[in-house]
Amino acid sequence: MSSRRSSFRRREKPAFARFKDHCRHFTAFMFSNVGIILLVTFYTIGGAFIFQAIEIFEYEKLKTDKPYRFHERNASGDCLSRIWELTAENISFYDRQAYRKRVNDVLLDYQRAVVKKQLLGPDVDHQWSFSGAFLYSLTVITTIGYGNITPSSDWGKLVTILYAIIGMPLFLLYLSNIGDVLAKSFKWIYSKVCLCRICPGVAKRRIIRERRKLRQLARALQLHNMESARGSSSTSYSSTSKSTTNSSSSTGSSDYTKSSVQTSSVLDVPYSDSDSDIEREIRGSTDEITVPLTVCVFVMVSYILSGAILFGRWEDWNYLDGSYFCFISLSSIGFGDLVPGDRVITVDKDKVEVSFILCAVYLLLGMALIAMCFNLMQEQVIHNMRAIKRGFKACFRCRSS
Amino acid sequence: MSNKFQRSSPQVLGAGVGVDASVVSSTASNQPRKRVKRCCRNFVTFMCTQVGVGALIVFYAICGALAFMNIEREYVDKTATYVLELRQNYSQRLWNITEELNLIDKPLWVNETNAVLREYQVQIAAIIKNGYVGRSPAQIWSFPAALMFCLSVITMIGYGNMVPRTPWGKGFTVIYATFGIPLYILYFLNMGRVLARSFKFLYRSMHDCTQERSYDARLEALENGSSLGALTLRKKIIVPSTACLWVIIFYVLTGTIMFANWEKWSFLNSFYFCMTSLCKIGFGDFVPGASLTTAADVDAATHKLREDISADPNEVSELQRITDQHSKLAINFIYMLLGMGLVAMCRNLMREEVRVKLKEMKEDAKLCVEDTRLRFVGCCGDPRDLYENDYY
Repeated sequence: MSSRRSSFRRREKPAFARFKDHCRHFTAFMFSNVGIILLVTFYTIGGAFIFQAIEIFEYEKLKTDKPYRFHERNASGDCLSRIWELTAENISFYDRQAYRKRVNDVLLDYQRAVVKKQLLGPDVDHQWSFSGAFLYSLTVITTIGYGNITPSSDWGKLVTILYAIIGMPLFLLYLSNIGDVLAKSFKWIYSKVCLCRICPGVAKRRIIRERRKLRQLARALQLHNMESARGSSSTSYSSTSKSTTNSSSSTGSSDYTKSSVQTSSVLDVPYSDSDSDIEREIRGSTDEITVPLTVCVFVMVSYILSGAILFGRWEDWNYLDGSYFCFISLSSIGFGDLVPGDRVITVDKDKVEVSFILCAVYLLLGMALIAMCFNLMQEQVIHNMRAIKRGFKACFRCRSS
Repeated sequence: MSNKFQRSSPQVLGAGVGVDASVVSSTASNQPRKRVKRCCRNFVTFMCTQVGVGALIVFYAICGALAFMNIEREYVDKTATYVLELRQNYSQRLWNITEELNLIDKPLWVNETNAVLREYQVQIAAIIKNGYVGRSPAQIWSFPAALMFCLSVITMIGYGNMVPRTPWGKGFTVIYATFGIPLYILYFLNMGRVLARSFKFLYRSMHDCTQERSYDARLEALENGSSLGALTLRKKIIVPSTACLWVIIFYVLTGTIMFANWEKWSFLNSFYFCMTSLCKIGFGDFVPGASLTTAADVDAATHKLREDISADPNEVSELQRITDQHSKLAINFIYMLLGMGLVAMCRNLMREEVRVKLKEMKEDAKLCVEDTRLRFVGCCGDPRDLYENDYY
């Protein structure tokens, strides 16, 4: 009976285990690199649609509810009529100076109206195109917040807050995940390419060379130890009695020879090994490699500069403006004085879309890259600190001895 | 450190000629050195702790504000004069039109004038897109505003209501952020740790006060030597995340009411501002202090005060208003920094709680699985099965 049950259980268990495995795989995938990228992308796209719908709906509602608010105050027509009045009353007495002064005042008023209208930004339909909304939701979850597009309706503001509360942890998850993966792959590439680990011959030769050096060092150390031991033993023995000196030194030397034989055999074992051991050594040593700080800084600076060139070409910014924009964006400050697609918006619509998408990809990639660099730098700093600590310890030990 | 001194003193002892004298002299020479070292260490620890880092942040922000003021006020705004020129030019053109069409022909005049006005509008719009706001840099970059700007840079909020226009200003912003952001992160972590500790202490003491009776019971349990006491003691320390959320919500609501009163915003707008600021998004559509009096007004008021001390009440109230607004800006500054610290605190506490909860959950799950297995085996088969199953 027990055997039957056990067989039954054995049959049932795989199904359950398979289901569990599926679940685990699914969650692992969702929180893995690809899944998290997809999640962030879809979250952003969904946010874009939601914001677009809310803003345009609220705008239309407001337009129908309170049309007087949107009564287009025709600034230019206003100005025109005022100038006409001026001219009409001025035609009687022909004073040029006074006329010009008054026209100037009218123009100043007109200018103020234009400034105000320009600062309010373009109208809602234009602002909340899909690409604009996409960039908006991206700036919310990355906490950049350019502020060139902002929600004007109450619901838009509330939804923004909720969206940020959910989206920011998601983005942080993305950053840590992708940063980790990028750091690992960058380290791998660095160890393979920059240290010539990719061609096995070089690596093998290097390891053999290092081992030979190590062996020589060990030999020298041993020799030194032996000599010091002999010296100390001789002195100690000389202080106690001279009759036993010869015997003791002879025993010491015999000990030494035995130990040297042992140690040399120990040293020879890893040296005279097969390729598999060296391969293992190579694989093991890739984990210990830390990427130096300068390389990380170089990667960040080159990313910013390449962004400057890219955006400079797209948006007709000079290089200072481009790199300033890239830095401000990637450090998630986001002033919003320079925004991609800002100038092109009135000229060409297709170009705007491409520019927006380019900007989004640049930002997502750049933030992951910066997370990667910080990951690597942290590792390197910790490694350095440990080395320094070890050095200090060794120093103190030296002094104490 | 003390080991080193112990180690070094015998060397001195051995090297010295007069044994007693050398010992006395060495201790005498070591004493002030030790004291100085201790002082240094204390100083460094103080600088690295919350107060020091906070002071450093404030100092850094003030230095940055002064530097930005100096840099940006140098900027000669050509657009202002250009706009003036443009306007005069256009008024001249309007005059020309009027002169030309001397006979009163309204449609033609309107056509011509309209075309001129259109042109004018297009030019003004282009200037505005380049960042012309209609205020001179000296007016924009008053000290409190520059302080706010520095804060918005190093906290990565970036409101963007005022931005550097000169190339030097842009470069300096980049450098300032490069050093400021790590400093701010240090502050963030430090403040979070300290606030979390104090909040935990507060919570624990309050918990103790409210549950005096249960405490006695727990003591008894402890005396009995059961694990219950230890368990409850360990559980007591954790601050629930709801408490953190309450703290944050309370803080945000305080800020909402404060800003709504000061800046005459609606409550929703104020709430929106607080949330976007504390989340470091910082759109910049609502910025506190944007309605502040400009530096020119302040200058005029102080000038007036200098002219005659026998001030009439009107003037006093004016100055009062201005100083009030300055204090408002300072409070704003403090609100932001403290809020960031609170967010860090909540992050710390919640992380801890989640970690503990996860551990507990894992243990519970393990126990549950074990329990069910035992029960299953116990009711359905003899205990020998258990040993059999262990092989698989």
